[in-house]
Amino acid sequence: MKHIFRPFGRVDRTTLAIMIVGQIILALLFWHLTSNGLIPKPLQVGKALGALLFSRLLWDNIIISVLLTVKAMAIAVIITLFFSYLSVLPFFHTIARFLVKCRYLTLTGFIFIFTLLTQNGGQLKLSLLIFGIVPFFVTSFLAVIISTERQQYELCKTLGYTNWETLYEVVIVGKADQVFEIVRQNFAISWLMITLVEGYSMGEGGIGTLLIKYNKYNDLTNVISIQIVIFLLGLLFDYLLGTLKVWFLPYSKFESQPL
Amino acid sequence: MEYTKTDVLLKVKDVNLFYGTKQILRDINFEIKDIVRPGMKQGQVVSLIGRSGIGKTQLFRILAGLGKPSSGTVTISKDKPVKAGDMGVVFQNYYLFEWRTVYTSLELAAKKNPALKGKEKEAIYKYAEDFNLTEHLKRYPKELSGGQRQRASIIQQMLNGTDFLLLDEPFSGLDILVLDRVVELLLDVSLSDELKTLIIVSHDIGTSVAISDTVYVLGHEEGKPGATIKKEIDLCARDLAWKKNIRTEKAFIDTLQEIKAEL
Ligand SMILES: Nc1ncnc2c1ncn2[C@@H]1O[C@H](COP(=O)(O)OP(=O)(O)O)[C@@H](O)[C@H]1O
Ligand SMILES: [Mg+2]
Repeated sequence: MKHIFRPFGRVDRTTLAIMIVGQIILALLFWHLTSNGLIPKPLQVGKALGALLFSRLLWDNIIISVLLTVKAMAIAVIITLFFSYLSVLPFFHTIARFLVKCRYLTLTGFIFIFTLLTQNGGQLKLSLLIFGIVPFFVTSFLAVIISTERQQYELCKTLGYTNWETLYEVVIVGKADQVFEIVRQNFAISWLMITLVEGYSMGEGGIGTLLIKYNKYNDLTNVISIQIVIFLLGLLFDYLLGTLKVWFLPYSKFESQPL
Repeated sequence: MEYTKTDVLLKVKDVNLFYGTKQILRDINFEIKDIVRPGMKQGQVVSLIGRSGIGKTQLFRILAGLGKPSSGTVTISKDKPVKAGDMGVVFQNYYLFEWRTVYTSLELAAKKNPALKGKEKEAIYKYAEDFNLTEHLKRYPKELSGGQRQRASIIQQMLNGTDFLLLDEPFSGLDILVLDRVVELLLDVSLSDELKTLIIVSHDIGTSVAISDTVYVLGHEEGKPGATIKKEIDLCARDLAWKKNIRTEKAFIDTLQEIKAEL
């Protein structure tokens, strides 16, 4: 037990479990004691969450949001990989660098343009989301490509690989685990954007619309419940992507665990 | 012992290397000749010895065709400038594709060698057997020990089928037993083909001298910038090459002293 306050201390599984449960209880207790009339108490939220979890309303909206996110991420990954792989060609390098800088553009300014370019609310949301995610994906992936050790390329050279073969081996095959890792790390950003984007076109529903509706009626209990659901879904995806990575690419399990 | 030195296999001529204004290598000149012994497939084992930081790895990269000298040339097989891919290269940290199993890595190397066409699998298993690596073929590099990685790396570069095998510090970080095994394996490799030529870059004088037929000592000359070859020792002429249990002989120990004085 005393290890938990020691720098780089290691704790066994049971201690870890006890510690986490303790921390959760403390947090709930803190919440319970500090919340006044306006902020709902944990028990109230718990009840609302329970009711919400058994409602069609929640699940229908979750499915809409998850489908939209997954679709946007899949397309974003394809776009990212295309430009990042080719970024080793000088012509595409500048384009990739430009995409990276697009992080600084806010989505809000593009709604009008995208509304003109797209046919309906679904398309609008999808394109906004993709446009929002791609710069982050490209940023992360370029960082991975740039940090490639020189020796990986040199090993290919000594084996007599052509430049295209080297690109395939080192950047495409060799970085496959990093693609999973980037999707995983940036999932949080996509998940953050979904609630934003869904606000722009409420017609199709989605968990973001639900959140906005409850917010409008000052239904704080349900707002917090939905926040918890969103949080848990995020954790679930994080876990799923981590598991899929090791499943498809067994060697990735030897790497140290990222945050 | 009867032997003759005939054709030039590799020629290093007037190699200089600068980083900015700092000279790392100066006027490096040497030739590696094919050693012929009657009734044997005797390859060549050449060592480049020098202190840490003297410029061995830089010279290694130039020999491998991975780095260009500021001036001078490295040529193989009758005046052809060396380029990456002409030599098998075993890096100091035994670099492998971390995302490939040992077997796949070896297979990729074997497929690049036209001489092995259709016999890749056999060749891999043969080497794996010789190098004690059969049970590790299905593993990833991260699951191997340093010595196993090194052997995998050596096999990978040998499957490539080039006459030259360059090794950067192959004796560092190995325990005594593994070291003996590596020495044995390298000697076997050197006897596998008449033209097989191992170039070993090392600061381990004892092991390098014990395994080689020629030693070049890299060092600084008084008052001059950059490292150059201060001494060439022909171990065949001294009757110190190709012998087992050489380490106890007086001539061997004297030679080590002689080299140490130059470092
Ligand atoms: N990229 C570089 N830029 C400048 N100096 C370098 C660079 N790489 C190596 N050096 C210098 O070259 C010298 C020789 O290095 P190296 O060949 O690695 O030595 P070693 O004999 O230990 O293999 C060292 O003094 C090192 O500081
Ligand atoms: Mg070195």
